[in-house]
Amino acid sequence: MFGPFRLTNPLSGGLLWKIPWRLSRHQKYRHRERLRRVDSTVATLSAALAKQGQTMKKVERWKVEMPTEQEMLPKDKYTVFDRKVKRYRKGIHKVPKWTRVSQRLNPPGF
Amino acid sequence: MSYFRITLMRSGIGMPLKVQGVLKALGLRKRMTTVYYPVTPDVAGQIMRIKELVDVKEVDRPLTKQQIRSSRRPDPGYYIERRGAEALNKYEDV
Repeated sequence: MFGPFRLTNPLSGGLLWKIPWRLSRHQKYRHRERLRRVDSTVATLSAALAKQGQTMKKVERWKVEMPTEQEMLPKDKYTVFDRKVKRYRKGIHKVPKWTRVSQRLNPPGF
Repeated sequence: MSYFRITLMRSGIGMPLKVQGVLKALGLRKRMTTVYYPVTPDVAGQIMRIKELVDVKEVDRPLTKQQIRSSRRPDPGYYIERRGAEALNKYEDV
C-alpha cells in the first residue's frame, strides 16, 4: 500500500496526468507575486520614460486598459473565460504557459 | 543618461517566435543574463513584449561583464597581505 511501487492510477498502466480543478493557496500566492512583478516592470518603464519627457503608446495603453493586481477581482486572478466550459470559467492554471503569459481581461459581457 | 538593467528571470523556451526573437535581439540567451540598454521608447517597446520574463530596473550607469561577475562572486574569506612573488624578489636581492 505504501512505498515506491504502490498501486496508483498512473502506475497501473497508461498515461494519466491530472490537473486539479482549482489552484492551491501556494499557487495562488505565487501567481499574485508574478502579477505584481509585471505591474512593477510596467511602472518602471513608464517612470523611466517620463523622466526623459517621453511617453509610449504601448505602455500608456497597458496602464489604461489593464487592471493592476490590487484592482483585479479574485475571480479574474484565478480563473479565465472559456466558452467550452460549463458556466464559462476555468482555472487559470489550465491555460498553456500560464506562468509566463498575461491574462487579465474578460471578453465583453463576461 | 539612464539605463535599463534587464535580467532574464524566466526562460523563453516554448514562447512564440516573436518573443524569442526579442530575447535574441536584446542578447538574452540564458536565464539570469543581465544586459544594459539606454532608456529609449524602442527599448521600452522590446521590454513590453517580454515583460513577464524579465526583471527591469532603471540604473544610472551600465556595468561591464567583469563588474557583474565580480559583484556576484562571494567574499573569499581572506585578504592578501603580500604577494609571494614580491617576497621572493626580496630574498633574491639579498
